[in-house]
Amino acid sequence: MSTADWKNYEPVLIPDIKDLHNIDVYIKNGGYKALTSVLKDKEKWADPKSVINEVKEANIRGRGGAGFNAGLKWSFMPPADGNPRYLACNGDESEPGTFKDRKIFEYNPHVFIEGALIAAYAMEITTIYVYIRGEYRIYIQMMEKAISDAYDKGYIGKNIQGSGYSVDFYVHSGAGAYICGEETSMLESLEGKRGYPRVKPPFPAQKGLWGRPTTINNIETLAHVPAVINRGAAWFKGIGAASHPGPILYGISGHVNKPGVYELPSGVPILDLIHDVAGGMRNGKKLKAVIPGGSSTPILRADQLDGITMDSDSLRTVGSMLGTAGMVVMDEDTDIVDVLWRIAHFYHHESCGQCTPCREGTGWLEKILLKIKNGDGEVKDLDLLLDLTTQMEGRTICALADAAAWPVRFTINRFRDEFEERCKKSVHAFI
Amino acid sequence: MAYEFTKEDLEQIEEIKSRYPEVMPATLPVLWVAQNRFGHVNPEVQNLVAETLGLPHSHVHGVAEFYTQYYKEEKGKYVLDVCTCLSCQLCGGYDILHYLEEKLGIKKGETTQDGMFTLNEAECLGACGYAPMLQVTNDQYVNHLTKEKIDMLVESLKKGEKPEYEKIGMPQRENI
Amino acid sequence: MPEVIIDGKSYKYEGQHKLLQFIQDLGKEVPFFCYHPSMSIPANCRQCMVKVGQYIVDRESGKHELDDKGNKVIRWFPKLQTACNIDIADGMVVHTQETDELVRRAQKDNLELILINHPLDCPICDQAGECPLQIQTYKYGPEGSRFEVKKVHKPKRIQLGPRVVLDAERCINCTRCTRFTQEISKTHQLTITRRGDKNYPTTAPGTEFNDPYSLNTVDICPVGALTSADFRFKARVWEMNQTPGIDITNGKGCNIDLWTRDNIVLRITPRFNMDVNDHWMPDAGREAYKIFNENRISRPLQKLDGEQILSSWNNAVATFIEQIDNTENKNILVIGSPHASVEENYSLAKFSNLMGLNQPVFVPHLKEGAGDGFLITDDQAPNTVGCRLLGFTELDQKALKKEVVKASLVILLSDHLLDRNVLTHKDLDGKFLITLATNHSETTKRADLVIPVTTAAEHAASYVNVDGRIQRTFRAKETKYTNRRLDMEMSEGRLDRYGTNFDNWVTEDNKIDCLPVWRFISEAAGSKGLDLVLSDGREIMDEISSTHNPFKGVSYQLMDEQAGILLINDSKEKTNA
Repeated sequence: MSTADWKNYEPVLIPDIKDLHNIDVYIKNGGYKALTSVLKDKEKWADPKSVINEVKEANIRGRGGAGFNAGLKWSFMPPADGNPRYLACNGDESEPGTFKDRKIFEYNPHVFIEGALIAAYAMEITTIYVYIRGEYRIYIQMMEKAISDAYDKGYIGKNIQGSGYSVDFYVHSGAGAYICGEETSMLESLEGKRGYPRVKPPFPAQKGLWGRPTTINNIETLAHVPAVINRGAAWFKGIGAASHPGPILYGISGHVNKPGVYELPSGVPILDLIHDVAGGMRNGKKLKAVIPGGSSTPILRADQLDGITMDSDSLRTVGSMLGTAGMVVMDEDTDIVDVLWRIAHFYHHESCGQCTPCREGTGWLEKILLKIKNGDGEVKDLDLLLDLTTQMEGRTICALADAAAWPVRFTINRFRDEFEERCKKSVHAFI
Repeated sequence: MAYEFTKEDLEQIEEIKSRYPEVMPATLPVLWVAQNRFGHVNPEVQNLVAETLGLPHSHVHGVAEFYTQYYKEEKGKYVLDVCTCLSCQLCGGYDILHYLEEKLGIKKGETTQDGMFTLNEAECLGACGYAPMLQVTNDQYVNHLTKEKIDMLVESLKKGEKPEYEKIGMPQRENI
Repeated sequence: MPEVIIDGKSYKYEGQHKLLQFIQDLGKEVPFFCYHPSMSIPANCRQCMVKVGQYIVDRESGKHELDDKGNKVIRWFPKLQTACNIDIADGMVVHTQETDELVRRAQKDNLELILINHPLDCPICDQAGECPLQIQTYKYGPEGSRFEVKKVHKPKRIQLGPRVVLDAERCINCTRCTRFTQEISKTHQLTITRRGDKNYPTTAPGTEFNDPYSLNTVDICPVGALTSADFRFKARVWEMNQTPGIDITNGKGCNIDLWTRDNIVLRITPRFNMDVNDHWMPDAGREAYKIFNENRISRPLQKLDGEQILSSWNNAVATFIEQIDNTENKNILVIGSPHASVEENYSLAKFSNLMGLNQPVFVPHLKEGAGDGFLITDDQAPNTVGCRLLGFTELDQKALKKEVVKASLVILLSDHLLDRNVLTHKDLDGKFLITLATNHSETTKRADLVIPVTTAAEHAASYVNVDGRIQRTFRAKETKYTNRRLDMEMSEGRLDRYGTNFDNWVTEDNKIDCLPVWRFISEAAGSKGLDLVLSDGREIMDEISSTHNPFKGVSYQLMDEQAGILLINDSKEKTNA
């Protein structure tokens, strides 16, 4: 299916089926068929490695923002040695503009569970943890129910479906820390510690939870796995943009008429998403800017959007990224200075404080932006802000400093006139 | 006041410990058990958690202080976390926050004198499509806020009626 | 042999090394704050950033890829790397701040960020002068600051525990202190609290930082966030002299530095010795600085009509000899001391031998259960093993009492036997007690003749620790009879070197009127016409090593070169290997 046909796309993650969260309904609609197949159909799936190869071939690019081929990531796990190995599922979605994984927890938890179980089998994993942000208490309860149902039906636990494969599956609740969405910070949090990202190497595949091999995948990434197993890698690759194939959960928020989460092929034109999918601009206002994939991805002006599609290649041409595909749409009345200050405030609040450039830089950025927002800034402050972004970017253990720096750099560069407008007029006068 | 876990809590804590190969990973979930029991995890409760798990007091303190959802002191009966981050900001999150400040007669971060409400400004709660929104005491989300909806929410909370789970359908689909 | 190219120079290496440590071991420098060689590496201060790459080598031919000009092509890491946590590898190319503008810029950027919320209160900060942040800011930091907004405020002057004070605003969150309590002392008393730029280290509420090793966190704190409650505001570091020494408060013999100003010891800090105490020492050993200053015996004391009065050295020597001459040898008991050095005990033993008196006996000073298996030992004395190796008779309390009963003259070296309840006043009834001692005590108060002797801060002498390692002290404090400027071995401070007459820096009263044991013994022997001249510790040790087998080959020079020498056989071979 090419990107142009997105209107005829039939959703697979969140299909139009009532009460799909109920395990019986899920099974009736073909659920857990993929899992049963990989566990028992030895002709099709000779060994766990064959599953990894199929997923690698499908090129499911990580939906948490980094976009790394999931199957390739799985293949980094060292050979099983009989000791514990872990799959940690990342349901800590907290990047402003991102609210997609909760839809899976709510409407189709079993597709994620099934995907996680297939991943676990493929990597010969012994325990699965799903880390869900603490604010999602209601979804945590839903997930706990779904996992318990799957245990009852024999899809999780000892000797699954008589296959000889056993795995445990637990929910771990966060407690309010954006940084725990960073994969190694999430491992620290799972281990019961302050969420400080770890220094890499060693990578989690070598030394993850409790020093054992661990793979971390996003919820949506894993939810794509059952369909890849059922329909094959070729089917998945045939959907959407070639470089970033498959369906994507687009979260659209901000000044549109029908905000929400939409499952569509990757590579849908941004303007189609705004005007057709999300019902157009609210109150008939004009489009001013879009943040395409969560608050850390560089903002795009309306005039940059013609022909740009939601995939990494196309977005790169205008200097942005797909991120989490959590799109934030802004209309002509939006105060860009306020928006940037609020984004900076967020990263300042969420910096774990471990690395110097991020701990100090995020606070400094916010304080200068507050000054500018309040009309006390000077034009030289804008240049200082740009300078600070280079002092933070690429200088820390994790990418939070980058995520804080990029919006500042690109928003100022792309809306410089609005920032200068807000700054104090020059006090130099000719006499 | 001396804080103690009930027998049921202790059973739950044992169950939690069984999910992990070590005790330390139980820190976050057991802090949740404690907060659900006592309404907060002040230093005394932190020490109780540390002693129950046999972990250093400083460890539990450091963890409790890192995560924003743990209340390190007693809060109002209802904690209203109003999201003002990005999408909520764009859709009037600050108007909602200021309306609540006015209505409750307190500033963000404060608790009403009757101990009923604590008002906080929250970072992104992952409900960007349903902005503006708030969360009541780490539990239900109340979405698509308007002044009228706030009025109704505050009234029903005063009566002790907690908000129901708001199911928001998928805009693309008919059945769900 | 694999090689690594740092700033254009090639270095061969063997084994595994972290880049930062490797660079330091070469005597070169990359600035850092959080790294500590004895603890885990969090790489959180981000100061030690360097540029790292690898020569591109063609796999098939094994040849380096060359550019147009014939230079080897380097594939650089896309980002700068922290030197602290990167392993060096064969063919690795490293540019430090010495050769790379980008690295210089990155280090400067980082310092600017570290400093924005730092109070910059060096003029009132104890750390000033020995502050890595201050030093590295001078070397690598920006000239000014572009920070024109409000700093973050945090708790100040917090008494974390009995010995450590916290100023959270000065903290740069390197986590050395929390790692110390987690990894080294294992008390887990400290944690980082809060998040982001509000982070700071603290204890759990309601608990205090009473870790028996708590003051080590003050040493390793790279800023003035943690300071010593005791030493706070007492002296600026550049006013003090730093002299190496040995901890004499227990049997471990931690290597220390004595910090003196105007001949008063103001603080004690640990000195690195891989084989003894690493970078650490117990808090108790630091409090011992007081015994060098306070309650000292200055000038000999002699009892007259039941009351001790100040006497002269001539009188003291005369009385000493007179008492020995007037007492039958079999009624004289000479007691050595595990609290005194090898050289002091040896001098006494030699004198005893020449006079035909007994080989000195000694009573170990043990406190069962006091040890922790780390740096605190059951043994409360620094030289128990030294006494044994000198061949002294080791007695327990009962056996000593038996010996005392037989004696009418007791000569006691530096051991407060009454204070530590080995002897009672009754045991000493009717006996003449001569003690050579450093500090006043119940025991010296009882003595009929008190000879003031030098402490470990005033003489160079050796002590053998519980593991059989002999280590020595240096003269840190002047006595009435020593002179810093004439004594080549004494450390000179800035004021000693550059002070003018108007600095008025030397208080005569701070110099104690005491002599090394061997000097007193030589005086006494001289007045008896004996051939016994012991002039200083170095010569005495040479004599011991030629006469006492366990000390064979030991000299001050060797001790200094090897940071102590193991005397006990099985382990001796290990270190010599």
